[in-house]
Amino acid sequence: MDQWVVVTIVISAYLALTLTIGLLAGRRSSDSVTGYVAADRSFGLLVMYFVTGASVFSAFAFLGGPGWAYSRGAAAFYILAYGALGMAPFYWIGPRVAELGRRHGFVTQAQLITGRFPSRGLSALIAVLSLIAFVPYVTIQMRGAGIVIEAVTDGNVPLWLGALVAYGIVIVYVLSAGAMAVGWTNTFQGIFMVVIAWTLGIYLPFRLYGGVGPMFEQIAEARPELLVPPGLDASGATWTWGAYSTFILVSAIGLMMWPHLFMKAFTAKDDDTMRRTVMLFPTFQLFLIPVFLIGFSGVLFAGTPPSADFILPFMILETSLPPLVVGLFCAGALSASMSTGDALLHASASVFVEDGVTKFVQLDEHRQRVLMQALVLLTGATAYYFALDPDSSLVLLLASAYGIIAQFAPPVVAALYWRRATTRGVVAGLLAGTATAFFFWQNPALKPLDMHEGIVGLMVHVPVLIAVSLATPAQDAEHVAKFVGRTP
Amino acid sequence: MSLRTARLLTGTYFTLALVAVTWPGLVPFARIRPLILGLPFSMAWIAAWIAGSVIVLFLLDRVERRHRPDGGRHEAGGSD
Repeated sequence: MDQWVVVTIVISAYLALTLTIGLLAGRRSSDSVTGYVAADRSFGLLVMYFVTGASVFSAFAFLGGPGWAYSRGAAAFYILAYGALGMAPFYWIGPRVAELGRRHGFVTQAQLITGRFPSRGLSALIAVLSLIAFVPYVTIQMRGAGIVIEAVTDGNVPLWLGALVAYGIVIVYVLSAGAMAVGWTNTFQGIFMVVIAWTLGIYLPFRLYGGVGPMFEQIAEARPELLVPPGLDASGATWTWGAYSTFILVSAIGLMMWPHLFMKAFTAKDDDTMRRTVMLFPTFQLFLIPVFLIGFSGVLFAGTPPSADFILPFMILETSLPPLVVGLFCAGALSASMSTGDALLHASASVFVEDGVTKFVQLDEHRQRVLMQALVLLTGATAYYFALDPDSSLVLLLASAYGIIAQFAPPVVAALYWRRATTRGVVAGLLAGTATAFFFWQNPALKPLDMHEGIVGLMVHVPVLIAVSLATPAQDAEHVAKFVGRTP
Repeated sequence: MSLRTARLLTGTYFTLALVAVTWPGLVPFARIRPLILGLPFSMAWIAAWIAGSVIVLFLLDRVERRHRPDGGRHEAGGSD
């Protein structure tokens, strides 16, 4: 039997299993909006841990991570560094957000922010910014899935078909079961991903160099510049400390502000579950070590992949592994892609309907759920359209998506911790921060110290929020007390 | 240990971690040798701060738990 046939069979079996888990999970969920968006707030520790871990580690980490290690060396360490930093504040913020969610019925981030700062415009602004950040992110996941399938089947399953089948399945289970399906499939995909990454990450250095140490000794001889932070930039010159440091900072701040991750606070069963998820999250972060080892193993390997992002499938195919292993690897990469893609699709629809549409049009629960499902399809189709465009510059868009998302941090912190913050202050800050980030994204040459545009945006955002808040009348003390100062 | 001290120490750890993995804290450790467990020094350095954060959060949780009357088991309900 041809290798690609075996590989295709393994992938099909994996996809069938994912679909089964997704559909079975959906039978446990109630037919309400809370059921669809927040899984009836029922997730225990195991599911929460993998939901969080698997939705953070996307095709970007699984394909982009080795790609960066391979082409830009130590620059990739920034991906390793930010996760634990970004997650830790959630030990306190998470349970607080969850309590407000239970008390006021919030299921999205914008509901929390506009609960404290009532404004339909603010709600719509957050919904639109979320969607702008989401579409390129979903596109990357779809394209990642398609690329992997096309590569390992020798082109017998082209990109358009691979992406279509993988995401057809994601859409079926997200449509039918919402958050519950996302939770249970992510648990399965998360375990799968970790096992595959560690196995390959240890195997490749041993097979090619006789061990991890010997591999780095050889790279240190031949390409020492790759192993010293801040590593290299895209053109192969030394990266700047300003860019390296602010990439860590903006990613740490942005990490938990992604609506699909922030909303997890509303799906946790109890506060202890959430605190333990935060505690254990850095262990998931260490999974990037084998991922980087895979990328580094390609550095001194004869032959070059078509692009750095292909280094993982390239190494797998070039080292003539058995077809079964190639198939399993591919399923691991699909896990990474699909477990983020499903969470993104689900969150984008939930956010857009809850925060964009229902603020302006009255809809009953059933209609809301139907509309969310229609939006999952629409977002999926839009992302699919971009995923097929080989020249799409969406990788660039994704980098600045973090710049947009990081701008949600000041409103969230102000809502929970600053009594004097006002609605006008928050709106002005958000507009100023986003506009600044957008300006420097358009004019990268003007960035001070080569800093990430999201950080420059925050430097404008926070002072504006504070100044405008202080210049406008304070909020009613009784209203503020519902959000600030209560011990969780 | 009091709740205040535990929170202060945790905050201090993560502030130090942020400095240690970015400019300027990473500069003195941005080197290859000695290899630690086969990894370049700077990579092991960053990984160690992550491993440390698991321990710090674990210890914080023990203190926080002792100060919570219900041990944190706040079941869902209310607004649903």
